[in-house]
Amino acid sequence: MTEYIENPALWALVVLLLIVIAVVVRQRKAAMALRQEIAGLREYYSDLEHHYMQSVASAQEQAEEATKTVLKSAMRTLQGLAAEQQLILSRLQTKHGESVILQDLLEIDHTNSQFGRRAQSIAVLCDGWLGRHRDNASVYDVVRSAQGRVRHFRRVEILSQVDFGISSRAVEPVALALAELLDNATSYSSPDTVVEINIRTVPKGVAIVVDDAGVGMNDEERARAERLLSSDRVKSVAGLGNPPQFGLAVIGVLSERFGFEVSVDSSSPYGGVRAVVLLPHELLTSMPEKKAPAAPMTRSSVPPPQPNGPEPVPASPTTTDGLPLRRRKRPMAIVPGSAPTPIASARSGAETAAIMGAFQRGTRSGRAARGDDTDQSISTRGSSSEGHEFS
Amino acid sequence: MNGPGDFELEATELVRPYVITKGRGLPDDDQLSLITLVTAAPEQVQRPLRLSPEEQRLLDLCSAGYLSVAEIAGHTRLPLGVVRIMLAGLTEAGYLITRPPVARARLADKELLEEVLSGLRAKFG
Repeated sequence: MTEYIENPALWALVVLLLIVIAVVVRQRKAAMALRQEIAGLREYYSDLEHHYMQSVASAQEQAEEATKTVLKSAMRTLQGLAAEQQLILSRLQTKHGESVILQDLLEIDHTNSQFGRRAQSIAVLCDGWLGRHRDNASVYDVVRSAQGRVRHFRRVEILSQVDFGISSRAVEPVALALAELLDNATSYSSPDTVVEINIRTVPKGVAIVVDDAGVGMNDEERARAERLLSSDRVKSVAGLGNPPQFGLAVIGVLSERFGFEVSVDSSSPYGGVRAVVLLPHELLTSMPEKKAPAAPMTRSSVPPPQPNGPEPVPASPTTTDGLPLRRRKRPMAIVPGSAPTPIASARSGAETAAIMGAFQRGTRSGRAARGDDTDQSISTRGSSSEGHEFS
Repeated sequence: MNGPGDFELEATELVRPYVITKGRGLPDDDQLSLITLVTAAPEQVQRPLRLSPEEQRLLDLCSAGYLSVAEIAGHTRLPLGVVRIMLAGLTEAGYLITRPPVARARLADKELLEEVLSGLRAKFG
């Protein structure tokens, strides 16, 4: 054993072993440190990435908000102008109702309505102003209002009506959503076809069915439409494509906010798209009364019916405007008071005979009592009472 | 969504007049003038449901007897031309009949009367 201890080779071996162990330990330590650093770096990197994403998103959001704010106020101005112009046009139409200018005024009115709708649609996407307050209106009138806001409104036909109204807060949104549907329906079908609207009552409320005779949608378009109408649609104005397609996005926003349902996933019997707007009972009211004529459109110069006219007719029928309704004049030959006629005809033959007999007796007694005044009066009285017995 | 001050404008009609006329053009003046008389066609039994409320109202007005176009327009709150377009449409569809206004009585021809007078004098006088 000692000889081994004295062997320098052994010592050298031991030293070598120690050195190797030390090196290995150091390497291990270094590797560990490196690994830790890498992990730290990785964490840092993901942190960075996260922050970057966040700031990009917030920048996008800010930009979107800024765009929306700008668009919103710009559209507010345009909407105001369109509304003002519509008011002016209404006045002009009343003023020049008798002249040929009316035709052109109506056309300008139509263009103005389309212009107003475009601005309104963009405003809706920017959470902007929806338009002026409306009173409750019948479903039929809301549909016609929507019809008036599209270019090819002449091709739209309303085939059925229901006796329901739409509550005031939903009038504009429904009209606008329907206008966008009609715009799609008329633009994606050939110009000689008709777009049909059917209004039906269904258990869930009222359904407005729009059928066009276009080419319909393929699966891709249908999926896109579904996505736009659902709540996970593109939220930004920038995501609408170029040229921007507002229609379905606007409908999606409106239907979600005001609680009605719109679906475009079925096909119409004419081959095109069938769009259905389902209005729940919450948005419906009873049929609104026709507005009183106190509205600003009435001409105040119309005089009230003269109280001391030439022939004051009590309780003469009047129109809803309060103006007297002219009656058809009766032919002169008809005896006034046709009520007794049916009574007379209802008499039996025996009654008639009895009456005739009484009449005859009366005239005979009258003739016989000529000259005797008291007798005549008594007998006449008697005969007349006799006659009345049967009538 | 609607802030204050949004109701400062008076609201216009929800249904615009060009929708009520269905975009049709004005009728000829000689076909339907201001003083043309209009009444409901007697044979109409039931009205189709397709008519708009405004058209129904015009038929109601006209069912009472002959009314002039100007009078009918006075009863409605619509511009006169719009009423004329609707009346023309209803007449075309056969719900209304129109009658030209009563012609103004023509003054007798003075020369003719004098000739008759002189002829009578020559014969009997």
